[in-house]
Amino acid sequence: MSQIKNQLAQLNGSANALFISYYTAQGEPFPNNVDKLCGPNMTDFPPFHANGTEKTKLVELYRMVAYLSASLGNVTRDQRVLNPNALSLHSKLNATMDIMRGLLSNVLCRLCNKYHVGHVDVTYAPDTSSKDVFQKKKLGCQLLGTYKQVISVVAQAF
Amino acid sequence: MGVYLRWKQPSWMVDSIRMRMTSHLPWLLSALTLLHLTVQAHSLKRGTIQDLKCTTKNMLVWDCTWTPPVGVSPATVKEVCIKDRLHSCHRLESTNIKIAALSPGDHEVTINYLNGFQSKFTLNEKDVSLIPDTPASLSLSADLSSSTLHLRWNDKGSAFPYPSNATWEIKVLQNPSMEPVKLVSFNTTLNGQDTVHHWDWASELPLQCATYSVGIRWYIDYHRFSGYKVWSDWSLLKNISWTPNSETNVFPQDKVILAGSDITFCCISQTKVLSGQIGKTFCPLIHLYGENVAIRIQNISVSENSGTNVVFTTEDNVYGTVVFAGYPPDVPQKLNCETHDFKEVICSWNPGRPTGLVGPRNTDYTLSESISGKSVTFKRFETLTNESYRLAFQMLPGQEIHNFTLTGRNPLGHAESAVFINITERVAPHVPVSLRVKDINSTVVSLAWHLPGNFAKINLLCEIEICKASSEQEVRNATVKGAQESSYLVAVDKLTPYTLYTFRVRCSTETFWKWSKWSNEKRHLTTEAIPSRGPDTWREWSSDGKNLIIYWKPLPINEANGKILSYNISCTSNEETQSLSEILDPQHKAEIQLERNDYIISVVAKNSAGSSPPSKIASTEIPNDDIIVEQAVGMGKSIFLSWHADPNMTCDYVIKWCNSSHSEPCLMDWIKVPSNSTETIIESDQFQPGVRYNFYLYGCTNQGYQLLRSIIGYIEELAPIVAPNFTVEDTSADSILVKWEDIPVEELRGFLRGYLFYFQKGERDTPKTRTFETGHSDIKLKNITDISQKTLRIADLQGKTSYHLVLRAYTHGGLGPEKSMFVVTKENSVGLIIAILIPVAVAVVVGVVTSILCYRKREWIKETFYPDIPNPENCKALQFQKSICEGSSALKTLEMNPCTPNNVEVLESRSIVPKIEDTEIISPVAERPGESSEADPENHVVVSYCPPIIEEEIANPSADEAGGNSQVVYIDVQSMYQPQAKPEEEQGIDPGVVAGYKPQMRLPINSAAEDTAAEDEADKTAGYRPQANVNTWNLVSPDSPRSTDSNSEIVSFGSPCSINSRQFLIPPKDEDFPKSNGGGWSFTNFFQNKPND
Repeated sequence: MSQIKNQLAQLNGSANALFISYYTAQGEPFPNNVDKLCGPNMTDFPPFHANGTEKTKLVELYRMVAYLSASLGNVTRDQRVLNPNALSLHSKLNATMDIMRGLLSNVLCRLCNKYHVGHVDVTYAPDTSSKDVFQKKKLGCQLLGTYKQVISVVAQAF
Repeated sequence: MGVYLRWKQPSWMVDSIRMRMTSHLPWLLSALTLLHLTVQAHSLKRGTIQDLKCTTKNMLVWDCTWTPPVGVSPATVKEVCIKDRLHSCHRLESTNIKIAALSPGDHEVTINYLNGFQSKFTLNEKDVSLIPDTPASLSLSADLSSSTLHLRWNDKGSAFPYPSNATWEIKVLQNPSMEPVKLVSFNTTLNGQDTVHHWDWASELPLQCATYSVGIRWYIDYHRFSGYKVWSDWSLLKNISWTPNSETNVFPQDKVILAGSDITFCCISQTKVLSGQIGKTFCPLIHLYGENVAIRIQNISVSENSGTNVVFTTEDNVYGTVVFAGYPPDVPQKLNCETHDFKEVICSWNPGRPTGLVGPRNTDYTLSESISGKSVTFKRFETLTNESYRLAFQMLPGQEIHNFTLTGRNPLGHAESAVFINITERVAPHVPVSLRVKDINSTVVSLAWHLPGNFAKINLLCEIEICKASSEQEVRNATVKGAQESSYLVAVDKLTPYTLYTFRVRCSTETFWKWSKWSNEKRHLTTEAIPSRGPDTWREWSSDGKNLIIYWKPLPINEANGKILSYNISCTSNEETQSLSEILDPQHKAEIQLERNDYIISVVAKNSAGSSPPSKIASTEIPNDDIIVEQAVGMGKSIFLSWHADPNMTCDYVIKWCNSSHSEPCLMDWIKVPSNSTETIIESDQFQPGVRYNFYLYGCTNQGYQLLRSIIGYIEELAPIVAPNFTVEDTSADSILVKWEDIPVEELRGFLRGYLFYFQKGERDTPKTRTFETGHSDIKLKNITDISQKTLRIADLQGKTSYHLVLRAYTHGGLGPEKSMFVVTKENSVGLIIAILIPVAVAVVVGVVTSILCYRKREWIKETFYPDIPNPENCKALQFQKSICEGSSALKTLEMNPCTPNNVEVLESRSIVPKIEDTEIISPVAERPGESSEADPENHVVVSYCPPIIEEEIANPSADEAGGNSQVVYIDVQSMYQPQAKPEEEQGIDPGVVAGYKPQMRLPINSAAEDTAAEDEADKTAGYRPQANVNTWNLVSPDSPRSTDSNSEIVSFGSPCSINSRQFLIPPKDEDFPKSNGGGWSFTNFFQNKPND
């Protein structure tokens, strides 16, 4: 569990920098219109209830991290094409995804060992590869804005 | 538009009318009237057709229609006949006929009706209108990404004679207003075949922002058709349609455009759009229709990597798009193709101006080789540095000639560059690897290296760089025959034994293009060889002359040819050869005990390869008594020595040197100079400035060395570091003798060039004399250039005066420190004597002269100053002759005439310094206590002096005269002069008598003790007595302050004065004469002239 907490703390500590790096790399007017363009208004984002039981929280965390991990994969892929020279952003995205993969594994392990939950149904964000560039930018920014907001709640919940 | 057939008037009829009208106008009018009536009648018979109209679509068939004459039904048409034509009549039951095109020219056409009427007219091609069929477009499509409409249609050219020119007109209408936004026309040629044409139109406004309709029409211009050409009708409008994406509201999306161009973005919105911006810049909204708006961007700048964002803000959402503005690829520059190994060709280039586009919009490069027909593609998302643009093209075996074309392509365009090469001339081999070195002997090694690649058909040119440890560098070339994936071997000779070398190799081809990079360095130490010569040798006899010390220098590495292990020293005399033990290497000196015989000393250096040739030196030194020690000064760290050539010197010259302060045997180093040289420059790191060195030049003869010259010198002279130690040997009133000592050589630091001696008046610790100020006029300087001089006498000084002496030594290096001393000259005794003797002599002379004058004028003096005082006892006035008194009645009595006394007030002395307050004179008698009982309580004694009044009887006329002229009045006599005690004989005198006359007497100086002595001398002072002791006179001048402070009337004088004069009879001393105040005045000063003395 401490591994999970540490990883959550790590994610929480780096989420804001990742968010800033992302919207800065997208160019104007993203940095000056973060509220409008990057507002955390994603409808399909997995819910998380901080006052639930540990099992519930772990299940929800698993869903959320699975969703985030897949979405960040899309964002990383899109940014490699869109911003091939934004190496700092790529690095942050990759680091975040690495932590999430580890977190996902640890959460599933915890669920399995303690609560004997071997499978959790997850949802993923739609693929963005067919979307236009502005939509990719905007969805990525909204995702990271939501992630920054949610991860602080999750980190405090454990 | 149309051409209508009409009845054609016979030409002859018209002409005849014209002819008649001109000459017979009245007749003409009558004829016209008649004609009209005739025609009317004829028309009624034949019938008249109206609105004849003939058109054609393809110039092959004419379609004519007409309106039948009035009163005739169109159904009554029976036939239409055309003259001069086969099957000239066509049965017909309408007023429309399609006939094959008639040949050019007029054709008479007759229309027969069932009712017998007949109409005739002339038909010509010129009257026919060519109206092609309405074009039918095959398709209308739209490229939304490029906002382009594509229109395709078929010209159906097979239906027309060809070649014909077709002119097309296309119109684009923007909905819903149906305003034409584009109308273009262009020409094509009909070639007898059905041809599909297309027309593309790029809309400034994205096609998604509105709906568009397109129509087309045309007309045909056939040069053989003389009729009218008329536009066809517009085709049916074709509309473009697209399915809107619910997420996409801003158009165009992800467009790539040329930087600097203009672009319009539109936003399709159901709600009101509040603003539109590109990047941070807000733009004015252009209303389209509904809530749709657009913004127009002009001269767009190059985008960032992620594109330029265009954002529209509505009341409830934010929509946007991204535009990528950049440039098409620049022409690839510096395209260069070469091979490293004959396996692949590497082409590199400079992309030129950046496109500003990255990722999928980045420039793709394709390298095509036209001979082989192969190509490779370069595609990367990232923006690379110029050096990274390179492509590898796999070579085909045997193909040497290559024609490469490099094409860069991005969404905005493409550019290409080409190069034609023979690959054998463009070889830049890989870096040689696996460099190995192997010894062959001490001066030859073999080098081997591997060069990857297939160079079988060419020769390789390689450079071998040889570096010694001393950084000496040499490059040698070697040509080797190329091979496939092979190693290459080269022998490198002319090396130095026992030397550390660094080798490295690079290669090219004989048809030079580029060198490969240098291989890694390989260090190698060559093997040893015997030393090439014996060591440089010298010998010195020890100070006691019993031992011979042999010195030798270590061989330089290039002559040692290895590590010197030891030295063998041997001595050879006429009788024997004495071999000494081996001296191991670090030691380069050996001392052997020899008698002073002639020996030949031999020194041999040994290394692992063998022994060097012996180096020999004779022990004998040929004496030379004619040696003069010379001086020399060097330059920097070297010293130049030259000498005259001596033919007797057959071998060489040796110059040895040592520090002069070192003890014998003195040897720092030596050098050997060839015998044909007469000069040399000696350099040594051991040389130090300011140090004296001895240089000895030896010449070598067959018998031994002979000292030729002895030189002392400095590499650089410095100033002495100490001052000469000097003392004062002798001092007189006007001179000082100074003596100094030599400065030690170590402290002199140069050749002594002289001394500077300064002196000036001054005493120790006075600021003036602490230092010698430059240019001070009082400083006297003596430059002593005779360095053998050790004393100096400074003359013309002033006696009893302190002098500041300073002595400094100097060399060419500068002045040394100073040493100073203060000396006081002695007093001048002659002057002192003179100063004493002269006043004494003057005083004696004055005394003698005064005595002589007094003696000669003694009478005058006596009469003037000491007139005889008549004895009262001898005064006849007081003598009472008994005879007279007793016997004569006529005796007269002393008649006491009234006597007017002169009052003399004597002031009492109250202090040693008298203060005169009034004119009273204190009587000395009154001061006596016993005698003062009757005195005035105020001690005032009024001396009543009554001059003797002798009436008519003057016993002694001379005395009278004298008495009349000798009225001495004592006035204002200071009370300090106390009167002496009265003589004994006067003590019995009645006070009244005393009061009558008061003789002059010496006044004591207020000392009671002296009273006794004064009484002893009373007898002597009983008579007239000169005025009191002059020593007690106050030497205050009349105009002294005291005098001026006093009342002039009561001023007391220290000298008596006559009644006629108040001047001192003995004049006071000169006021200018300096008082003896004991303040340092001396006779010596009396003789000093200078102010500062």
